[in-house]
Amino acid sequence: MNKAALDKLQDWSAAGHRTVQADTLMMLAAEHPEVVALSADLTPTARLVPFKDTYPDRFFDVGIAEQNLIDFSAGLALEGLRPFAVGLAAMVPMRPAEQMRAAIGYMKANVTVIGLEAGVRFGPLGNTHYAMDDIAVVRAIPNFTVIAPSDPLSTHKALYACMEHEGPVYMRLTGGPGYPVLYPDDFDFQIGKAIEYRSGSDVAFVACGSLVADAAAAAEILESKGISTRVVDMHTIKPLDTEMLDTVFAENRLVVTVEEHSPFGGLGGAVAEYKAGLAGAPKQVIASLGDKFQRLGDHKFLMKENGLTAPDLAALAEANL
Amino acid sequence: MANKETVELVEQKAALMRRHVIEMGYKAGGRGAHFGPALSSIEIVASLFFGTMNHDPEDPTMADRDRFVQSKGHACLALYSALGEAGYITQEQMDTFKGDGSFLAGHPTRNPQYGIEVSSGTLGNGFAVACGMAKAAKIKGEDHKVFCLVGDGECNEGVIWEAAMNAVKYGLDNLVAIIDRNFVQLAGTTKDIMDVDIEALWRAAGWDVLVLEDGNDATSLLDALEAMKASSNGKPHMIIANTTKGKGISFMEGSLNWHARPMNDEQYEQAVADLENAAG
Repeated sequence: MNKAALDKLQDWSAAGHRTVQADTLMMLAAEHPEVVALSADLTPTARLVPFKDTYPDRFFDVGIAEQNLIDFSAGLALEGLRPFAVGLAAMVPMRPAEQMRAAIGYMKANVTVIGLEAGVRFGPLGNTHYAMDDIAVVRAIPNFTVIAPSDPLSTHKALYACMEHEGPVYMRLTGGPGYPVLYPDDFDFQIGKAIEYRSGSDVAFVACGSLVADAAAAAEILESKGISTRVVDMHTIKPLDTEMLDTVFAENRLVVTVEEHSPFGGLGGAVAEYKAGLAGAPKQVIASLGDKFQRLGDHKFLMKENGLTAPDLAALAEANL
Repeated sequence: MANKETVELVEQKAALMRRHVIEMGYKAGGRGAHFGPALSSIEIVASLFFGTMNHDPEDPTMADRDRFVQSKGHACLALYSALGEAGYITQEQMDTFKGDGSFLAGHPTRNPQYGIEVSSGTLGNGFAVACGMAKAAKIKGEDHKVFCLVGDGECNEGVIWEAAMNAVKYGLDNLVAIIDRNFVQLAGTTKDIMDVDIEALWRAAGWDVLVLEDGNDATSLLDALEAMKASSNGKPHMIIANTTKGKGISFMEGSLNWHARPMNDEQYEQAVADLENAAG
């Protein structure tokens, strides 16, 4: 791994995912002339001003036009460039879902679409700015890989993995300022290969995004009560690491999937779809944002409201064991 | 001015392409075909493939080929007939149009090996993708041009205007778009459905706009395309070609009923007779 990334780790944790992805795109651009970045009037929000200033000929702001953001990126990719199209997870991919399907998925264009502030991170801005359905939308498009990294270095490494990956990727990012560090040193990150963050034989939390840290904290609570708890960082939601799930289903008595997303079509849905074909798999509980628009509140309030804090997750697991 | 040999070649190919359109569409039987919008754009596509574009069916993915993007994907028969006449696809392949397992669907699917650059069918996207391809050529310092066929009804789409503004912002003068203005869309005339002055809109967006009074005339098309291809004035180019929907088939010309439908035996015989009469 790039040593500069390790040097930035504390800053990245303090600043959150927007800065991690922007700094990483700068590193990728320095190494790969075919890397270009795009935004739809979000350049400062996406922390891409340094990219724009450093690579003015490789940065495109298409205006407030998400459909064109996707189509234009596809055209660049078909001609051999490697576009990273950055938008808010609430607007991209839902607004240009059809462009994601027709121009990127169908043509297998090598575009990485980055959705910032996924889930309900925008708290007080309200429901139009929440992305509770983005995984579901993109998962249903063939050829797309869907990644939700859990911490600063995994976000960094996931973007490097996208560069080596052939085909479309949607990356949803969740960790804000105070992005918890789960991986303080270099580690192996492969698209489609989940990481067993801790082992355990009773409960298994299978989580994605920054909620992996909350699941890990919930595991500590359960362990203190003598409940052995595994935590799986399922950073790639599509394709799902079914090998890891087979191990979980064989060794754990309860599976709790954890995501900052609707209970439909996200990580919980993907695990349930796989489990549906297996005899004797353990019970699954889906911890999610629920099938509803949210009451107004900041992120912490909404996590509590939806039972996604560590004590809530521990209690949910205990109640279902 | 286009030379006489090129004009004659384009006219000859256009006549053959019209026949392919009728044959492929008729063979599709009850699955039908978008006859009207393919027939209106025949001369545009023929001028590109047999006059204007630098391309080689023997080397379909050569780096410096001019790109053709058919954004109005429903008119795929115009593209398939050109690909057949140019030698990208065989007669046997053309005969599979819309058939089970065929790669020639009712809307084009990207297949560079057979000369199909971009999947299209959901309107507006092909145009916006073509803009990205033109920008890529500029980034890479490549001299080829990107040609894109757009429908007049297609200009109802929002993404068209998102992309139109963006193409001006990035000075995509290596992009030549052609609107097949046949004045008819699926459910009615363009006047009835969305009565706007598209010429004024494209000019207002900042495009270099040229209107052709007869967009089914090979000479005017070839001249316009050549001028636009040669121009590097910093603006993307738009040719608005006034055409006749269903051009060349007596009962289809200007008709609201031949956007897309199956053709029966009697209609097929009449269509073939029309084409044979036109050939003299």
